[in-house]
Amino acid sequence: MSHPAYSLEDVHYAYPESRTGFALDIDALSVGAGDVLALVGPNGAGKTTLLMLLAFLARPGRGRLEFFGEDPWTDESRALLARREAVLVTHHPYLFKGTILDNVAFGLKVRGRPEAERRERARRALALVELDGREETPASSLSAGQAQRVALARAMALRPRALLLDEPTANIEAGLAFRIEAAILEIRRETGAAVVFSSHNFSQASRLADDILYLSGGRRVRFSHENCFSGMAESDGRMSWIEPHPGARIVFPGRVGGHVTCVINPAAIDIHAAGHPAAPGAGPNVFAGRVTRLEAAEAGLALIRVSGGLTFRATLPLAEVEARGIFLSRSVLIKFEPEAVEIIGSEPPEKAHD
Amino acid sequence: MIARELLLAIWISLKTSGLAALAASLLAVPAALSLASREFRGKRALLLINQTWMAAPTVVIGLLFYYLLSRSGPFGRFGLLYTQTAMTIGQIFLILPLITGFSYTALRQVDRRARLTALTLGASRRQAGWVVLREAKFALLVAVLAGFARAVSEVGIAMMLGGNIRNATRNITTAIALESAKGEFTNGVILGAILLVLTLGINILVQVGLRSKD
Repeated sequence: MSHPAYSLEDVHYAYPESRTGFALDIDALSVGAGDVLALVGPNGAGKTTLLMLLAFLARPGRGRLEFFGEDPWTDESRALLARREAVLVTHHPYLFKGTILDNVAFGLKVRGRPEAERRERARRALALVELDGREETPASSLSAGQAQRVALARAMALRPRALLLDEPTANIEAGLAFRIEAAILEIRRETGAAVVFSSHNFSQASRLADDILYLSGGRRVRFSHENCFSGMAESDGRMSWIEPHPGARIVFPGRVGGHVTCVINPAAIDIHAAGHPAAPGAGPNVFAGRVTRLEAAEAGLALIRVSGGLTFRATLPLAEVEARGIFLSRSVLIKFEPEAVEIIGSEPPEKAHD
Repeated sequence: MIARELLLAIWISLKTSGLAALAASLLAVPAALSLASREFRGKRALLLINQTWMAAPTVVIGLLFYYLLSRSGPFGRFGLLYTQTAMTIGQIFLILPLITGFSYTALRQVDRRARLTALTLGASRRQAGWVVLREAKFALLVAVLAGFARAVSEVGIAMMLGGNIRNATRNITTAIALESAKGEFTNGVILGAILLVLTLGINILVQVGLRSKD
């Protein structure tokens, strides 16, 4: 029986020296060999922490983390072997002093590979990121984007069973980012490696990944395509908002900037017929629309689609539907609290074009 | 001072101080790496003690080891007093805090991502430690050379533990002290110049050697 590359169960991790009280909690996660998983979420969501756990650079405080069916944390030598099979490329990669070749061949050197093999594999990996022929260039002379490509080549030269990438295209110009994306898929195709990458970029995650894990505050968050909105955020310091449609402002707490992608849980949306005594008045996150779909869903709930400037999907107990005067084509008002808005992606303004 | 005596004094200076620098580096650099790579209770106090120890006068260390190594002292049975070994031991303790302090500063300045990157690429913890040392090699070299320079130029320990015995423990600095006491100031200055030229030569040789390997 073949095991998945990663299998996580009730994994908990808290930084020992953390003053913020941040903790990562993953109830269950499985990544098959050859699968591409994207981790999407805002800064501080726990993407990097999860990658550190998957790279066996940090040990879960509790829970089970298996790598190809085995728990590598049973002893230090197993953890080292697992670390050699699961290679992480960090967000701001560090290049060692020396040449590009020294850097790309480093991992092979610590594995005791002969020099000829090191050189050949490094050359092939550099070709994948279009840096072949520059083996002897000093690493200190490279730009941030070139450094990112060398770091990627350095990981690819090792042909790991799991390739972990923390925002792999964060420092790279848009044109090259597509080539890096192609290289990631090429690695998966050629080596069958599991690839896990983090990204603020929702569209990139959708393009590359077989599956997407949305994280917020160290936990998995549910994602609904129906209630997913994005736009450039503005803020008054206390609250922030995006305007995905002219005049339709989604407000959420805190000071958030850049390009934001957010979701709203359908169960958190309150809905009443327009003119109903309990219908919400003016305020943040109040939207008018018309019921364009109404159907019974599981667990005694009705699924209601409301189309206006924006389209929302809400759920309501079936018994409440009639009591609130809701039927197909009816004009309704919906409302949700700013705290119900979950930010699943945010990019700084200068990267928003990616 | 005849040529043979002079050459012997130079050799004794280089040998005792070179061995002291080597032995102290073998102790100090791993200690500095350990201090630089982890946080623990009492670390600040340890660094403060090390800094204070750096300023210890050579005669104080000489006196301490004179007591320890003299016949009636705890290590008197080894008969080390007035030997080159005693001089080397004293110099190790003189330069140990200096090399530790300089190495600690050098290693703290290495980008913290260096060790993490090595680990992500499959290095063992020991290999990752070597990577950090390699990234700081020039600064570490300065620490070791500073230790050597301190050892080769000190006179208190060499005099008290070596005894300035002709053709046995007399080195350049104790020879300078003797020549000065005799009123032979010119000889003293010449010996001082020889000491500086030797130190300069060693510095150049080591730095050129390291750069050619880089």
